[in-house]
Amino acid sequence: MPTNKKLFKDNLLKNNPVFAQILGICSTLAVTNSLKNTVVMSAGLIFVLSLSNVIISMIRKKIPSKIRMMVEVLVIASLVIIVDIILKAYLPVISRKLGPYVGLIITNCIIMGRAEAFAITNKPGKSFIDGFSSALGYSYVLLVIAFFRELLGSGEIWGVRVLGDWWINWSFMVMAGGAFFMLAIFIWVVKGLFIQVEEEGSA
Amino acid sequence: MNEKDRKSRKIKDGLYTIFFMFFITVVFISIISFIYVKTRSKIKLNEQLKLKRAILFAGNIEYDNSNENDILDKYSKYVKEIEVENADNYFEIYKDGAKSGYVFLVTGPGLWGKIDTAIGFKQDLKTMTGIEFLKQNETPGLGARITETWFKEQFENKVAPIEKAVGENKEAGIKEFNAITGATSSSKAVMKIINKSAKNVKKRYDLMEEE
Repeated sequence: MPTNKKLFKDNLLKNNPVFAQILGICSTLAVTNSLKNTVVMSAGLIFVLSLSNVIISMIRKKIPSKIRMMVEVLVIASLVIIVDIILKAYLPVISRKLGPYVGLIITNCIIMGRAEAFAITNKPGKSFIDGFSSALGYSYVLLVIAFFRELLGSGEIWGVRVLGDWWINWSFMVMAGGAFFMLAIFIWVVKGLFIQVEEEGSA
Repeated sequence: MNEKDRKSRKIKDGLYTIFFMFFITVVFISIISFIYVKTRSKIKLNEQLKLKRAILFAGNIEYDNSNENDILDKYSKYVKEIEVENADNYFEIYKDGAKSGYVFLVTGPGLWGKIDTAIGFKQDLKTMTGIEFLKQNETPGLGARITETWFKEQFENKVAPIEKAVGENKEAGIKEFNAITGATSSSKAVMKIINKSAKNVKKRYDLMEEE
């Protein structure tokens, strides 16, 4: 069993859900065209993933194994609906912008993946760390991608114009296709520069 | 373990499974219902505010966007909702005590999906007072720029039917408008929605043109 610190670090880097496990790509492509949307989406995912891991871990010994996936989905879906309702009530503008993507957190494979792979067999404390760090690993990748997409596609950061008039918006970056390229470049850079050494060492 | 024991154990397991699923569903549904009931009125208010804000904007009435009470005040002061059978309600705008125009809720096709708008006309039902978008699914960063303030505000005092789209930074006459660079389809979709509404509202709502 890895220590808490190693677990946390691995989920951010070596086992990063996005660029190592290639999970949650749908939302990575969909919401990263502006930083604001991405931050809200990430906050939602951190909340849902941490809590769902803790709750599932807490009741793991009581869940009959036959219906364990039903229970997991129930927990995840309930948490997502709560996030959706709260966004609608207190952040209506962002809720409208995110549209169906909040509901789609339910189908984000990272959450179900962590529940099945980790929470169902581990103690609540460790499961929390696992969920929280996986969500953080997902979030920072999204934020980096969103930063570049918004900068290149709209010339803005957080809705504020930072590039002068000389900059011609690279509209392709804010369309879905741009996300594919950005994500691919990100994975290429990260794997090429940072991960490679470690892989060679362990091989 | 004999046959009988095994059977009763199986039934026990089955009952436990059913009971567990039932119990946990009830727990989670109760939590969600509680939060839903607590926030229901707030969500409803948000939706009303969105509509009222759009109608004020289309009717060219200034309001303080960050002040909810100001929006509600201005709405009750300047806007009158007219109920219509078999069609959407429309809204009359009253300025200085006299009727000055109308706002209609109009839906039309965009590039990717429906565009819901509120469109305001003066009493001649041709001169626009404004347009606001309630819902749109245009391409982010391109077509979705129809919701930018400069794009919406340029329609004030334009006269329907609008005949021509000109480039983003060009001079536009009263029957022309500045289309968004790279999003001509979405811009033209907006133009069509405006023209369609100008043509249809008179008939649908049985309104008289007034000079």
